[in-house]
Amino acid sequence: MNRIALRAYIVILVAVLLLGGFSFFLFEYATQAEDWVIQNGSPHVYDGGNIATGVVTDREGVLLLDMTDGRKYSSSEAVRKTTVHWVGDRYGSVNAPALSHYSTELTGFDMLTGTYKYGENGGVARLTLSSKVQTAALEALGEYKGTVGVYNYKTGELICAVTTPGYDPDNVPTTGLETGGPNEGIYVNRFTQSVYIPGSIFKVVTLAAALETIPDVQEQKFTCTGEYKLGSKKITCEEKHGNQDLKMAFRNSCNCAFAEISQQLGADTLERFVEQFGVTKSVQFDGITTKAGNYDLEGAMSWDIAWSSIGQYTDQVNPCTFLTFMGAIAGDGQGVTPYLVEKITCDSTVTYAAKTETRDRIMSASTAKVLQEYLGFNVENKYGSDKFPGMTVCGKTGTGEVGGNKKPNAMFVGFVEDAQYPLAFIVAVEDGGYGVKVSVPIAAKVLAACKEALDK
Amino acid sequence: MPVLSDLLNADPTVVNVYITILRWIAPILAAILLFRCVKPLLTFRREPEIWGWLCLQSGQKLPVTHWESVIGRSKRSDIVIELPTVSRSHAVLTRYDDGSWSIADINSKDGLYINGKQVEFHALKPSDTITVGGVSMKLQPISAKQEQKQASLRTKASSLGSGLINLFLLTAFQLLCVMAFLMTGAAEHAQSVLLGFGGIMICQWGLMLFYVCIRRVSFEIESIAFFLCTLGMAVIATVAPAEAIKQLVAMVIGIVIFLVLGWALRDLERAKQLRYVAGVAGILFLLITLIFGQEYYGAKNWLVIGSLSLQPSELTKVCFVLVGTSAMNRIVTKRNLFMFIAYSVMICGCLAVMNDFGTALIFFCAFLVIAFLRSGSVGTLALAVTALIFAGVVAIRIAPHMLRRFETWRHIWEVPLEGGYQQTRALMCMAAGGLLGLGPGKGWMKHVFAADSDMVVATLTEEWGLIMLVLVVLSVIALAIFSVRSAAVGRSSFYVICACTAATILLVQVILNALGTVDVVPLTGVTFPFLSNGGSSMICAWGLLAFIKAADTRQNASFAVRLLKMGGEEDE
Repeated sequence: MNRIALRAYIVILVAVLLLGGFSFFLFEYATQAEDWVIQNGSPHVYDGGNIATGVVTDREGVLLLDMTDGRKYSSSEAVRKTTVHWVGDRYGSVNAPALSHYSTELTGFDMLTGTYKYGENGGVARLTLSSKVQTAALEALGEYKGTVGVYNYKTGELICAVTTPGYDPDNVPTTGLETGGPNEGIYVNRFTQSVYIPGSIFKVVTLAAALETIPDVQEQKFTCTGEYKLGSKKITCEEKHGNQDLKMAFRNSCNCAFAEISQQLGADTLERFVEQFGVTKSVQFDGITTKAGNYDLEGAMSWDIAWSSIGQYTDQVNPCTFLTFMGAIAGDGQGVTPYLVEKITCDSTVTYAAKTETRDRIMSASTAKVLQEYLGFNVENKYGSDKFPGMTVCGKTGTGEVGGNKKPNAMFVGFVEDAQYPLAFIVAVEDGGYGVKVSVPIAAKVLAACKEALDK
Repeated sequence: MPVLSDLLNADPTVVNVYITILRWIAPILAAILLFRCVKPLLTFRREPEIWGWLCLQSGQKLPVTHWESVIGRSKRSDIVIELPTVSRSHAVLTRYDDGSWSIADINSKDGLYINGKQVEFHALKPSDTITVGGVSMKLQPISAKQEQKQASLRTKASSLGSGLINLFLLTAFQLLCVMAFLMTGAAEHAQSVLLGFGGIMICQWGLMLFYVCIRRVSFEIESIAFFLCTLGMAVIATVAPAEAIKQLVAMVIGIVIFLVLGWALRDLERAKQLRYVAGVAGILFLLITLIFGQEYYGAKNWLVIGSLSLQPSELTKVCFVLVGTSAMNRIVTKRNLFMFIAYSVMICGCLAVMNDFGTALIFFCAFLVIAFLRSGSVGTLALAVTALIFAGVVAIRIAPHMLRRFETWRHIWEVPLEGGYQQTRALMCMAAGGLLGLGPGKGWMKHVFAADSDMVVATLTEEWGLIMLVLVVLSVIALAIFSVRSAAVGRSSFYVICACTAATILLVQVILNALGTVDVVPLTGVTFPFLSNGGSSMICAWGLLAFIKAADTRQNASFAVRLLKMGGEEDE
């Protein structure tokens, strides 16, 4: 029997195999369960391609989406239309990367209790958006396609980010989706995922580069005769601006003056500063990566360089990135990264709270100050301060020629100087026309709504 | 019943509070219960016992410490006689239930002589002189009085009181389960849930009562089995409540087989006769399936009779254990090992034709353990494993669906909607459950194919938590360790091999099922003993448990072991 008793230990070997394999699984569980639970298609987290747990509200606690049982959207059609690009739809046609990014926090997952929630309520994600401002922006944009973005350049909160045409997730359009139709591109979040030919708003970039590199640029005089010859080609202005200093040239948005400045700067310097200012880079926040823009002077002739310096040629910018650039100017050369998700609470514990992320300095404070002054002068002297009651607005319009038989992109970028309204904004309207005529009134309406929201 | 309707229409707040508390209480209760059951199994003392003396002519007395003892020159022998004339393993001395002894020659060089005459086998009388390699001796069995004293000193199985406490804990756990399912489940399933859990409760108390009547007090192994059955029922209540009754019936049949088999094993001679019946039955089950069986999900291992579907290969497992075992005198001579190898090859061949590779692997592991227990030869095992690998390669070439399983193994996240669907859902749901689970009925795994059988651990973990799964796995391991520890005080190598093989089959099933679900090993579609929904599997698990029970030699522990004479009273 001694022999058999000894040989019986082979069963222990099998038990050790089980124990070893099971321990390996427990190790995997301990290190990977958090990933498993938020894998796409995870039954307790996703439904039809989008996260399906928890509640999403705007900055004031107004319900945007309740995913406790199916997907119940806001009762307001305008709110549904303007937030669908952030909270996603039922079919996964529009994703909600920010919500998926925080799926762990939103499901309240932890190793001990899994995704269990008392009473089966998920977490509550509070976004930085204001549904009132969103609605106002939608009304201001009207039938135009485009985007409006406003963010707090001190904290990074995105107060407004509207894309048109939006659509009602409770009533998904089935017609007009064709090219040129009223519902073309409804699934695209233009604020983060499209790029625009910037037009004259790009002069802010050229101006900043000039201020950083040409010592006497503010003392220079620029004479505009309506055209600026470069070899056999020329850059033109719509009117003769005559003699002007840099500030006036910027106010006049004088193509000839900026063409001259671009020749002083040269391709390498321009490219270096576009890179330094991050104007064409992607911005990353809350799991969202914005579409990268374009500024490429490889093999460009002096004429091309001149056009590029005034936001034409092959220039393309993403609205969110450019908004961040304006925020940096307002922040004396150092901006903050925008964010969408303010806070997530789960069973009364805060599982996520946004933090302001200060970005690297992109220009000297003195350059930023001059830019602030010039941009302020534009509004004061040209667009009209009276359009923005109660706020000191600085800005620059742009008219991005897109060619074809389409009207230009009507752009307007800028910020509010007042300490109690630290807002940077961008308005991009496709097929819009002149920035001054189309975009400024839209910005005025949206900023007024923002002011109201912040005054509360 | 007013209480029932109250539960069914409970206020959501009450339900939430209840589930929140249950999530904590359930694992704690389970841990206490299993700890109380497992502790005596792992810590019982194995006292050295003396059953007789071999009195040499020189006056030297060699103690006989087992019922089966090998006399030989080898140090591993139970009774060592270090003389060159004695073979390494010379003879086997066997004691029987009634206190009589026999001796058998096991291919010794010089032969075995009784009273001067060479014999192969001899029933010993007290006056017989045994001569081994020129050494003469007489066997002096211990007296009836000494035997009584020894019996009373033998480690007691846990007391009746302790067993009752365990059973009350288990019942409390079951009542908590029932309440949760009644609160959260649909009203139309209330009857099934009540019957399912109620049936288990009646069975466990009935079995306990029966044990009390026949003066047996150990209920640890049974408590573990009933606990696993309860969790299995909890999974069925979620996934397929309508099948609760069917599973309950299977459990009752399983318990009957457990009792009948245990009773049959009481008498070693009777058990030896049973082996031939088992051998024929085991192969018949498979042949019938091969001829009349139906193919489901790629394996032709189902026998459908009317509305009843059976997996006869499960029953063959129980038969296989019996066929493979052997008493000591046979083991050392290795006489029938080749017959057994042929039998194993035949069984694995049948399973291969059926495409049931998971079960074939279980048989193969059982075969390895039996072969090692009987031969003690590592070389034989190496040869067998090589043969398996060879057969495996051939099998993969022949059956492409087997290959697909291997293709997705450790790559399930690359094909989450195709080959890896079941397992990725399992891992996501297990993660969602956390350590405490989402609560009974709150899981999603029920939407996945085989959520209550092949994927049962995922459903269990999702709803009852990872802690519960750990407890379940550890309790099966405890059963295995108990089988090994019992070997040292086993009455016969027959029982030791039975228990160890049964434990191996249980372990391998857990390995293939649980680790297959979580993608540590390839998924083979094997059931988890007691836990998985499936009648044949349930019956098989109880049958295997009888072998473990038969190796339990603690005082008054097992109905499958005759009571030792105490105060001159003999049971039965």
